[in-house]
Amino acid sequence: MPLLQHFCQLLYDSQFGTAIRESDYAFSIIESIHVLGITLLAGTIALLDLRMLGLILRPVSVTRIARSVLPLTWSGFVVMFASGFLLFWAEAAKNYSNPAFRIKLVLLALVGLNPLIFHTTIYRRVHEWETLARSPWRARAAAIASLTLWSGVIIAGRLIAYF
Amino acid sequence: MHSWFVALSHSALGHAMQTSKWGFALVETLHLLALATLGGSVLILDLRLLGIVLRKESARIISRDLGRILLGSLLAMILSGVALLSEEALKCYYSPAFRWKMALLAAAVIFYFTLHRIALLRADQDKPNLWSRAAAVLSLSLWLGVGVAGRVIGLL
Repeated sequence: MPLLQHFCQLLYDSQFGTAIRESDYAFSIIESIHVLGITLLAGTIALLDLRMLGLILRPVSVTRIARSVLPLTWSGFVVMFASGFLLFWAEAAKNYSNPAFRIKLVLLALVGLNPLIFHTTIYRRVHEWETLARSPWRARAAAIASLTLWSGVIIAGRLIAYF
Repeated sequence: MHSWFVALSHSALGHAMQTSKWGFALVETLHLLALATLGGSVLILDLRLLGIVLRKESARIISRDLGRILLGSLLAMILSGVALLSEEALKCYYSPAFRWKMALLAAAVIFYFTLHRIALLRADQDKPNLWSRAAAVLSLSLWLGVGVAGRVIGLL
């Protein structure tokens, strides 16, 4: 058995994972919190993306929106990650071979890479373009990547239940 | 009202949703995507009312632009919601969670177009006060209530 699969099986068989899985309400409640976390994360980052594309809040500078939105996005990330890990704990052995779950992990890696590239390149010079109604093409490309990838994460995440 | 639900479940849409293998999953995913943008716009609007974010920016512009996102998302949620409903219309008709969800949705939408809007338009002249804060908290609670009741439909 591959090491990763072995690890998933270990989580799945653990007392805690089994308790979540076998409880009447635990899984649904954690899942609901997970959805709230995603809403907080994706809903707020989407606003920054739409601003950079020049679709909303054009009179407001990109940095002002980033400063308002990013703490919420990060809170959403923490909630989503913590609740997501609990859901994984309960279902790890099944998730391991689930194609939707695998795709979701790849998308999550990509969606993490995107802001890393964005913040180390074009965002460093944000003061030159923060007030432009439409941000430079590199920022717009990052915005489109973010919108697409987060939508992909949500779609793949929802589909885990159907495999 | 009962006959409407029967008609919806016997409609072409209902038939397609009931027999398609992936129909429900895909529409549900769409419903969820629209939920994200709806949630984000409601949250920022209400945090602006509370004076927590974008305090120095015009509430009028925030209200106009985020209002568009909110209404667009709401429209997408209602359309996808009707398709989801058509798959199990009678189950929903008798579900207390569904009835709560519809009542809360009606309240949230009416509140958004009336008192909430007035509070937002006043936010440019007045500092956040008891009324605008109450409007923000009520708005957040109503929308959250819609979501929670919606989740419960699938559990009961």
